[in-house]
Formats: sequence, structure tokens, C-alpha cells
Amino acid sequence: MQQHRQAKWNDTASEGHEPLLSEKDTTRYEPTDTHLPDELTREGVELPSLSEPELVRHYTRLSQMNYGIDSGPYPLGSCTMKYNPKFTEDLAALPSATVHPDRPSKSAQGTLQIYYELQDYLGRIGGMDAVTLQPPAGAAGELTGILIAKAFHEYNGEADPRDEIIVPSSAHGTNFASAAMAGYDIVELPADDDGRVDLDVLSAAVGDSTAALMLTNPNTLGLFERDIEDIAEIVHDAGGLLYYDGANLNALLGRARPGDMGFDIMHYNVHKTFATPHGGGGPGAGPIGVRDGLAKFLPSPQVGEEGEEYTLFDPEESIGKVHGSMGNWLVLLKTHAYISRLGDTGLTDTSAKAVLNANYLASQVNLDVPFEPFHHEFVASAAKKDAADFAKKMLDYGVHPPTTKWPEIVDEALMTEPTEAESRKTLDQLAAAFNSVDDEGEDVISEAPNATAAKRIDQTKAAREPVLSWQQISD
Amino acid sequence: MQDSLEIDDSQATRDRSNDRGSPFAPHDEEDVRLMLDAVGATDVEELFDIPDSVRFDGEFGIEASSEQAVMQRLHRVLGTNDDVTEFLGRGHYSHYVPSVVDHLSLRSEFITSYTQYQPEVSQGFLQVLFEFQSLVSELTGMDVANCSMYDAATALGEAATLADRVREADGSVVLVPDYLRSERRDVLENYTDGSDLSIRELPTEGGMVRPETLRSYLDDDVLLVYVENPTSEGVIEEHLTEIGSIVNEESSLLCVGSDLVALSLLQNPGQFGADIVVGNAGVLGLPNVYGMSIGIFACRDDFLRQIPGRLVGASRDSAGDRTYTLTLQTREQHIRRERATSNICSNQAWVALRTAIHATYLGPDGLTELADRCTRLPARVAAELDEINGVSAPVNDAYHFREFTVAVERDASEVVSDLVGEGFAVHERDDQTLQVCVTETNEHRIDDFIESFREVME
Amino acid sequence: MTFEIPDDRRYAESHEWAKKTDAEGVVRIGITDFAQDELGDIVFAELPEVGDELSEGDEFGVIESIKAVSDIYSPVTGTVEDVNGEIIDQPELINDDPHESGWLVAVETESGIDHLLTASEYEEHI
Repeated sequence: MQQHRQAKWNDTASEGHEPLLSEKDTTRYEPTDTHLPDELTREGVELPSLSEPELVRHYTRLSQMNYGIDSGPYPLGSCTMKYNPKFTEDLAALPSATVHPDRPSKSAQGTLQIYYELQDYLGRIGGMDAVTLQPPAGAAGELTGILIAKAFHEYNGEADPRDEIIVPSSAHGTNFASAAMAGYDIVELPADDDGRVDLDVLSAAVGDSTAALMLTNPNTLGLFERDIEDIAEIVHDAGGLLYYDGANLNALLGRARPGDMGFDIMHYNVHKTFATPHGGGGPGAGPIGVRDGLAKFLPSPQVGEEGEEYTLFDPEESIGKVHGSMGNWLVLLKTHAYISRLGDTGLTDTSAKAVLNANYLASQVNLDVPFEPFHHEFVASAAKKDAADFAKKMLDYGVHPPTTKWPEIVDEALMTEPTEAESRKTLDQLAAAFNSVDDEGEDVISEAPNATAAKRIDQTKAAREPVLSWQQISD
Repeated sequence: MQDSLEIDDSQATRDRSNDRGSPFAPHDEEDVRLMLDAVGATDVEELFDIPDSVRFDGEFGIEASSEQAVMQRLHRVLGTNDDVTEFLGRGHYSHYVPSVVDHLSLRSEFITSYTQYQPEVSQGFLQVLFEFQSLVSELTGMDVANCSMYDAATALGEAATLADRVREADGSVVLVPDYLRSERRDVLENYTDGSDLSIRELPTEGGMVRPETLRSYLDDDVLLVYVENPTSEGVIEEHLTEIGSIVNEESSLLCVGSDLVALSLLQNPGQFGADIVVGNAGVLGLPNVYGMSIGIFACRDDFLRQIPGRLVGASRDSAGDRTYTLTLQTREQHIRRERATSNICSNQAWVALRTAIHATYLGPDGLTELADRCTRLPARVAAELDEINGVSAPVNDAYHFREFTVAVERDASEVVSDLVGEGFAVHERDDQTLQVCVTETNEHRIDDFIESFREVME
Repeated sequence: MTFEIPDDRRYAESHEWAKKTDAEGVVRIGITDFAQDELGDIVFAELPEVGDELSEGDEFGVIESIKAVSDIYSPVTGTVEDVNGEIIDQPELINDDPHESGWLVAVETESGIDHLLTASEYEEHI
């Protein structure tokens, strides 16, 4: 393995790879001569203070100890870590995008136009009749969607018996948590031997108490739920609603739409499907699409159009708000820009290349992939090895490893999603990394990683003796 | 409509990257052929296991565009936002964000990374978040802080559900002051929709919570009391010490809403008995971007295992070095599922990075001096507005932070609309009340603003 | 892999053990060697308080490892008489010594433990 090495400047003033801000400087400041009387002020604050050059060195050094998509492939299954086009950042930095949320609508027409158009774009892409952009992340979108389902049943006088949400056991943890936050009991649906929803099991699970079924399609194994029309019929006949978890929409762009499959509510993960940067954990955005009859329950406000003007309005039976204002505006602006750039041809090609890349990578990797035919991601089995160790060893090859040990239906799972943005040559190199690690013994991989800023981190110590701030560091 | 969906591409340079499909997929025709051969397919369509009956054969009707064309169009669309000077606040504030914040936060190792599931290659961002938690902990006076919520409103919602789980009292009422913004209250209602909690409103006088009123509202039913400092009307609460002891006597919990600038100067919530502090951290690091922000969540150590969202902790690696990692993850949805402390997954990590850079750039003196300025500016502007015929300001006889309410002897909506005509935006609160917010970012326009206000009132 | 299954006590199918103490009608309860191994490094235990009533088969606490959360079920019906405070500060005791110093609670019960699995029956079970 050929490695590029260049020494880095390390501040060795204290231990660790880069001292904490507090170790570089801590100053206690107690203001005098404030406008407020003493009883309304605190005694002072103790915070770090760095000059601009020092600040730049600190954060630059930290960035060098962080892996991003621009560093190399990031095939983290279910997370769709694809290239984030740079031009969208320039739009987000425009002074004209800096708008207070309480401006009169007339004075924020540009922003409202972008909301209006993006509501429209997402509706077309998902096959949905109305869209809200307010939820600030996918999980917030799930909660919003479930609250809409709840409002729908309440409106129909059926809230009382319908107190259950059905979730497949291989679903994202957020599905369970979001439904529980909305007050629902969870009915867990085991998969059939093929890794899909078992229609008989589903038929037995639905009934008068079913509020909704939450489904990811393709599911977390990358498999398309072929029986989706039957699934929709079973749920609808029982009086429930069908919710689409949009985490895997990248696989279907331009080839199938949740609305056409019978889904009533869906969320979009814009950092997954529409390439907005994930920023080390967020901000995301989790717009919700609904079919016609549910539009009246959407959060307020919605953006509409009256004549020549974009306006805000409250849907008549709105569930209210799920974010203090209008969601993560800059993320939505980047989403609009990405969709505008790609258009029909680009979006449709995205799913083609995403699915081609996953299939090609799987064909070059020597691991067993128990469930097929997968689409944009595959779940390989590390078999006799520990998948977490397998992943740690991959770090030594300069790549970010797949999602590990999930979904549990695959033994020692390596859930791998290369996305459309990797070239054939990159995939070949990625496959070689998988295969090299596969050839190593468990004794070697359990010691990994070795070529990273930090060696294997003691998770047990972190959890048994929580140290959550520099104030709590004693050693 | 000001603009059609069709894009005029004629002025833009031709961008051949669109001809291949996605401009961000690197494959050429030969790549596709070789890859199809490897998987044993002749056409990509064969790889899609989608029944014909649900295949989508239509088009979205969205035309692909060159980068230049998209930039030009969205520039133009955003340009239709009026170029007004905002004197707007009410929970969303503008402070000058130094240029270094953009430059550092846009380093691609930061902005193009995912959540730190592999800590060994994420030490940089984990340290950033650890430092953010430490800053929030210091400013709130709380033992622990998480590494962000979406915004102040959802953080308040999470505070209520935490109170429900830790249950130091039997009750189920969340008491909120009448000045709480309706938007935040709406979010709170939705976050508590699945629980037995109910929201009850606490009347205030002169814009602040009165201890005697609070006492009369505090009974066994009250689980959580929420107050803001400063309030959404800019009032600085004057009885927090008493409020803290009253709430603690009753074994209810006290949640304080604030922001990181105000917290550097105003009374320390950790000192007057707050159990939970929520609020807005985006006052540092983000300008007013249509309400996109970052929420604070900090609380007492006792509630550690009930905290929502992600936590970063310090540990050691196998070489014995200090390292950082996401920790106590069994609280979270990906492990605890329906019994998780929250459904939150993605949060506002990148904004936390920006906030930490901005806070450290200012330092304790710069931050406190900024806060002090936020108490002087509204006093000055209110006094000048009060000189105008038919205007009375501030409405509340109190100290203010950044903003204050203004009574006008004219229809408030007309005043707002006339002011927009003059190039200024203020809040309309009711028929005869406005709200005005002033910070260092609009300070240079104060004289013009006062002059326009005077003209509008004549 | 073999696990310690001492035959001085009885077992529940949900991987808890129960052992009589010197005190009349009081049994100690813990999780088995097999259970601690399945969980991995235990970092936290949430236990009932003295005086709490437990029912056989009902969950009475939670054990957390780094990556998993497990409910623990009471093998007997009775009243919590004592709680092992040591494991709050040192949850690793449950990993290191699940059958002795890693015990969880002591319960006063009238039902006895003879209805539970014997060591050999439990060995069969796992």
C-alpha cells in the first residue's frame, strides 16, 4: 500500500493530538461598569480566547483529523454520503439569503419563491400532492408525518382505537422513536426469509388499532418491497395509512415514486438524496410529502401563491409547528440548487449510477451478500469476523468503512452504499480494501486501526466514567 | 409570478457535464459497459427489481441546468428579497459573524463529514463538539450540555419530555409564561402530544414573571416551570432568584430559555436554581437565516442518562492518548428505539462548530462586552423613539436586552408597512404595539431609523 | 465457549439466577455468566429501590452495555430487601463476577426458587 505522508505541525503544549481550547487559553472575565445593576448580572465567565491566527491553526489542525467525503469514499450504508457540490455553498453565503423569519412576506419574496418551488419539485419527485419543508431533519420529518396521521384519524373520529404503528424490525431506530414520541404503541413486524415484509404476517398485524405502517423502500437490505401494492391494500383496507421513510429514495429517483406505490405520507432526507452536506451530524432537513386528503393537516405555515405574490398560509386543520420557524433554510436552498442543476436527466441518472455502483462493488468484494437483488446498497456478511473490527481495519486503508452490525438479520453485517459519486477505479480500490481486510486474521484486525490520528478508542471507559466537558477533565 | 420555472440558459456558458446525466457521477460509457459486464447485466435497467405496475415512466418536468445558469437564476430570485434593514428579533437575532467562521467551518473535512460513528477518523469534529459542550456548560452554569438540538423551540419540547421522564413531581402541567412565542408553544405542544403533559399559561405583569403570581399557579400538578431571560419581548427578568427558590420548594423543575450572548452577562441559571437550560446558540455563528439555528440543551448531572441527543465524551485510545467519542449512546434511537430519550438523529453539529469558533474569537471579554452593548442599545433607541409624538417606548418598565416593545397611536400594521417603504422592518405585535430589535449589525442605521419612524408617525 | 453455571442456585430462561441467602425467605438475584458475556462491557445498571414489589416474570431493571440495552426480569415474586450499591459505581463487577459480587438485588419472597431451572436444565437451555 502506497501512502502519502507529510509531517504536521502539532501543538505539544499539552497532551492529546491538539490541545483543547481551554488548555490553550482560559481567561476569567468579570465585567465592571455594566449598564445593568449587579443583581441582574452574573459574576463573570471563564472562557478561552484565541487570537485569529491561533484560532485558524486550532481548527485547521482539527480538520486534518477528520474524514469527509472530499477525503475519500464514504460507503456508510443508509447514509448516502455522496459528493456535495460546492456551488451550493456560494448561494447559501449570499447576503440576500440572510433574511429574518418574521419579515413581512412581501419583503421576503425571493425566499418564499424558493420554498414554493422546492415544495413543488419535491412533490413531483415523490409523487405527492403537497409538501412541507419545515421539519429540520429526517427524524423530525417522521414525527411530523406521524402527527399528521394522528390528526387524520382524530379528524375522522378514529383516534381512539388506532393507537398502534407497525414498524418492520429492520427499520431505522428513528421510526420506533418517532412513533413513540407521538404516543403510539409499536408493533414490530419480522421480515420473511427473503428479507421483505411477509404479507401474511402483515395481514395478521393490521386491524382496527392500526394507525399506520412505516416502511422503507428499498428496505435497509437494499431490497425493493415487490409486494408494495398488496402491502398498501392491506394497510388501507384496515383503515391505516402508509408512511414512506425516504432514507433510500436515492435508489428510485426517476424510476418509481412513493406516491404511485400507494404511500400516503413520506419524508425526504435531503442530505442523502439531494447531496446537501451533512456537516458532521447536521443540519439536515426532512421535508414531508402527503397525498391530497392530508394536505390540510400539514404544519403551518405553508407557502402558497396568490396572483403575482408568494404568501404564507395556515392549512385548515394544521398540526401546528414542528420547528420554531421555517426549518433549516440554508439546507433547503442548497436542495433547490441541487435539484435545479440535475433536473430530470441528472436525477434519473443518479439512481442508475447509484445502483450500478452498489452492484459492481459487491461483485468485486469477496464477502457473502445474503440478500439480493439489492439496489443502491448491499449488506455483506463479515461471516466469522467481528464486523466492527473489520471496519476498524478498513480505516487503515484510508477509507471510511460501511455501517456495521446492522441490520441484524445479516450476521456481522457490513451495510455498504457507495453512491453514484464514486468512479469505477475508486470502487476497485475500495473492493481491494475490503478483500485485504477479509484476508487478515481476527488477531490483526482487532488491533486496528493503526494509521489513524487516534488508535482504537476505549468506548467502555467513555461510558463508565463520563467526561463531557473540559471542566470535568481531571487527569 | 416573478419568474417561470423555465431557465433561460442562453446567457450561460454551455456545461457539457449535464450531457452525461448526473454531473456528479464520474462514469463514462466504457466504465458503464465494463461494470455491467462485471455484474452480468446488459443494461442498468435490469438491476432495478421494480414491478412494472409501479414503475414511473413520466418526467418531473424539471430541466437540467448548467451551474452558471442555476447560480444566475437563484441569485436573481434571492435578489427579489427586499433590501430592508431589519430591526427584527423575537428569538432570532443578528450579530456580526466574523469572516473566519465561514473560512474554517467550510473546510471540507468538517462540512462533508457524517456523524462520528468511527471516532478514530473523526477526532477533529468530536473535539469541536466536546469544546462546544464545554462552552455551553460554562455559559449556562449547568453540569452537562449535549452537542445540539435543532433550535430553541424543539429544545424546549425536549426539556418537557425529559421532565416527564425524571419526574420529581407527580403532576403533568408545564407552566409557560404568556410572553412565550406562539411558535415555540406550538412546537412544545407537538413534542408533548404523545405524553400526558399539558401546557398551562402563566400570566405576567410588565413583561416579567411575578413571584406572587407564580406562587399562586404552582400546585402539585406542575411538573415544569419555564421562563425566559431575556424574554421574547426583550425584558430582563428581575426575580429569577426568588423564582428559582419557589420552584425548587415545590419540587417542580425549572427550565430557563436564553441564548449564548445573553448568558455571558445575565444571571447564571446554574446559580439561581435552574434544572434545565435551553435556548438559542445560533446567535453566535449564524446570521438571521430564516430561523435556521441551533438549540442549546444543558441540565443537571442527575439527568445525564435522560438527556436527548448526542453527547461527546473524553476517553483514551489503545496508545493511552486522550481521545473523544460519542458516548452514552444507549439513550439514543438507534439502540433504544421506542424507549429512546428522543427520536433525534441528525442535529445541528456544523452550526455548533460555527458557534464555538465565534465564541472563541470573541473570548469572555468580547462576548460580555457584546452582551453589555445589547443592554445599552435598546435603552438608547427606546428613549429616542419615546421623543416622537404618538410613540411610547419601552412599553415595559424594565431593563431590556436587544429589543423592546413600542406603543404607537396609529394602526400598527400601517406603521410596519410604511416603515418597509422606508427600508426598515419591525415586528407588528398587536393593533397598537410594535417590537424593535437593535444590535451592532443595525446600529449604524439607528439615526435613519428614528428619522423614518418620525416621518411615518406624522 | 463454556460458561460458569454454579449448581448452588436456580435459573430463569431469561438468564437471571436466584440464590437463597442465610436469611429466611430472602434470595439474591443476578444475571448469568452467559448473559453478561452476551451483553459485553456493562456500563450502567438501573435497579429498583428497597421496598419495591417485584412480580415473577416482570421487568425490574435495565442493564446497559456500550451497544445494547437489556431488561432484566424478576425470577420471583416478592419485595426488594437490598440493592447492590457497589455496581452503580462499578458496573464492571457484573462482567467480572456475575454470580457473586455482581449480584443485583435481594428479594424477600414466599414463593421459593424451586420452580426455576436447575443448573443442568439451564445449561441445556443455553
